[in-house]
Amino acid sequence: MTFEKFIFYVFAAILVFAAVRVITVRNPVHAALHLVLAFFTTAGLWLLLEAEFLAITLVLVYVGAVMVLFLFVIMMLDVNVAPLKEGFARYLPVALPVAILMLVEMVLVVGSHYFSDERMPAPERHGADYSNTRELGSVLYTDYVYPFEIAAVILLVAIVAAISLTLRRRPDTKYLNPADQVKVRREDRVRVIKMDSESRE
Amino acid sequence: MLENYLPILVFIGIGVVIGAIAIAVGFLLGPHKPDSEKNSPYECGFEAFEDSRMKFDVRYYLVAILFIIFDLEIAFLFPWAIVLEDIGLFGFLAMVLFLGILVIGFIYEWKKGALEWE
Amino acid sequence: MAFVSQAVDRVFKMNVEMMGLQLLLPEIFVLTMACIVLVLDLFLHDRNRVVTYGLSQLTLFGALALVIALADGDSHTAMFGTYVADPMASLAKAFVMLVVFAVFLYSKDYLRQRDLFKGEYYVLGLFGVLGMMVMISAHSYLTLYLGLELLSLSLYAMVAFHRDSGVASEAAMKYFVLGALASGMLLYGMSLIYGITGSLNIAEVAASIGAMAELELALIFALSFVVLGLAFKLGAVPFHMWIPDVYHGAPTCVTLFIGSAPKIAAFAMAMRLLAESLGGVQADWGGMLAILAVLSLAVGNVIAIAQANLKRMLAYSTISHVGFLLLGILSGTVEGYASALFYAITYAIMAAAAFGMIILLSRTGFEADTLEDFKGLNARSPWHAFLMLLVMFSMAGVPPTVGFYAKLAVIQAVVGVDLLWLALVAVFFSIIGAFYYLRVVKLMYFDEPLDSQPLEYGTDMHVAISVNGLAILLLGLFPGALMSACMAAMGL
Repeated sequence: MTFEKFIFYVFAAILVFAAVRVITVRNPVHAALHLVLAFFTTAGLWLLLEAEFLAITLVLVYVGAVMVLFLFVIMMLDVNVAPLKEGFARYLPVALPVAILMLVEMVLVVGSHYFSDERMPAPERHGADYSNTRELGSVLYTDYVYPFEIAAVILLVAIVAAISLTLRRRPDTKYLNPADQVKVRREDRVRVIKMDSESRE
Repeated sequence: MLENYLPILVFIGIGVVIGAIAIAVGFLLGPHKPDSEKNSPYECGFEAFEDSRMKFDVRYYLVAILFIIFDLEIAFLFPWAIVLEDIGLFGFLAMVLFLGILVIGFIYEWKKGALEWE
Repeated sequence: MAFVSQAVDRVFKMNVEMMGLQLLLPEIFVLTMACIVLVLDLFLHDRNRVVTYGLSQLTLFGALALVIALADGDSHTAMFGTYVADPMASLAKAFVMLVVFAVFLYSKDYLRQRDLFKGEYYVLGLFGVLGMMVMISAHSYLTLYLGLELLSLSLYAMVAFHRDSGVASEAAMKYFVLGALASGMLLYGMSLIYGITGSLNIAEVAASIGAMAELELALIFALSFVVLGLAFKLGAVPFHMWIPDVYHGAPTCVTLFIGSAPKIAAFAMAMRLLAESLGGVQADWGGMLAILAVLSLAVGNVIAIAQANLKRMLAYSTISHVGFLLLGILSGTVEGYASALFYAITYAIMAAAAFGMIILLSRTGFEADTLEDFKGLNARSPWHAFLMLLVMFSMAGVPPTVGFYAKLAVIQAVVGVDLLWLALVAVFFSIIGAFYYLRVVKLMYFDEPLDSQPLEYGTDMHVAISVNGLAILLLGLFPGALMSACMAAMGL
């Protein structure tokens, strides 16, 4: 076994473990943390495929940002742990045969000679000076500029959708507006009144 | 290409080992005499009033999702910055348009007051 | 030297690029206008919100004009082969514009009465239209997928648009989760095809499959995922679960949007994916679609009978119409594709009229979405009862409405490829389906009205729904023009 294969099996084993834990742990926060581990090991596997940019993006965007969102949502929903496990035993007689059948089907298809090494040979390994990010960049902004701009529009729709669905005005809350505080002038706060001094008598 | 990432793998390995050692040493060498009082959570000396997890406001969610959108936008900037010399004016304009579309989103967000924290 | 040749290559590419850009004018126009409407709406006072509506309608009108002006009967690719402008795209886009024009018009009063008259509905609608255009003109799997996501994302947000309605939120949640699952399936299938053929470009995939000495089992494996994702998006049985809940739960104006124009875009997506890129394995996907079609016809028509809610009934009716659409596609002939395009377009027009009638009967604080609400409509407003009669006749396939002609063309195409049993199944279930459509007609004409309030509608609504209803009749009397346009779109 080469060193690379060894690394692959280490990452793959951790990934499968983490993925199983995501759906079996009771506490949703723990499930989210296992998902972080799953993402991280997936990034490792992608790196082995020389998909360097995607691997780093997975860590930056998913581990860094999406998981924060996940945790926020879990906290927001205030998930009650008990009902999550309900019905597990009841659906097991149906779920188990279906799962086994799917597994057998997948093994039959993926294990067949149509996916074998001769038909789908592994691509050449690149040298040390190869940069996957550079390769990606050289087509992303030229050949694939149209999909790239559509991606921007999708992000724009995501902004509009997120704001229009979750933003609520709260006129009843008391809060300070720092801009108003900074802009305040002396005349707004202090009124200097000139009074004639009273004579003594 | 992968040999460039060997140092990172080594770092991950060292990090895991040091973390494991620190916990293991504490566990093995430290005195270990738990009782029910020591194991129970406390809140300033009182019994705990409620679960340590409290409900978050939906506003955090909005902030997080807006952060993700602009985080993704930045992810697109990295390969662009690397190849900017090769892709020339065309690639530059492609990114200008990309950022321009997202600036529209930013204007929307600002004017709607999604950046305010009331 | 290599650097120089690269530079020359790039300059050449950029020229091609510049030449292709004018083909994208409709898309560029819709995007620009959508952004303008979005920003302008921020600065409008609530009482001037009608400006947003007017500009949105103007956008559709302008895009329609651009689509017609640019249609030259030829097929061109642009943007380095990720975009295609061909007769099918022009025809499909033109009808998307027309149908969405009607949708926006019907929605205006409905939104106003419910205090939902906000710019976001129209902006998201315009982005949805842009997504449909991208899908229709896609010449690469990547563009197709992104167009689909742009449309879906807009639709998810529109379903949840009525934030205080629990049913709408539930519908949006179901739609989003199942839609994301289906997108994943579709993407997985596409990625496998990319792995096998080495390209995302539709023409290159087709060429690569054509050049294969023997068919790869892996390709069929990928194909089944693609068909599955497609069936989810179309709402074919057994992937139809989301349709009734979403149609029922969403505000009627959003149901109107989802139920009409996206069907044309979904048809175009099926064409690009199955007929254009995977035409080499037509025998395989034809069989898969046949199962989906028969199940959709059976389940859609039978369950629709049991529905008391009109929106739900129309949802199941959509499922049965999807069955017909699939029949046209699975025949694998040019006549079949043309008949399916005809079916998609006429169905979108019928659906717009049907949901438009529900909106017309609704008023502030009252949703006319049960069958009961249509009782005795003839006594209240004979003209609208007549329009509804046309819509129901057309959906049931009663001559001389256009629905009859659409069904006939599809059945002809199926018989043309010697699949007589499929044609018989389609006719059998259409007859069963006629029952629930004609029940609505019976309720309108032979029952006493439960509701004596006069109908409330504006002049624009009245004119538009009349035109929409009469279009169903006129297209049925003179189907030749649209049919030959559909034939021309498929290259006949």
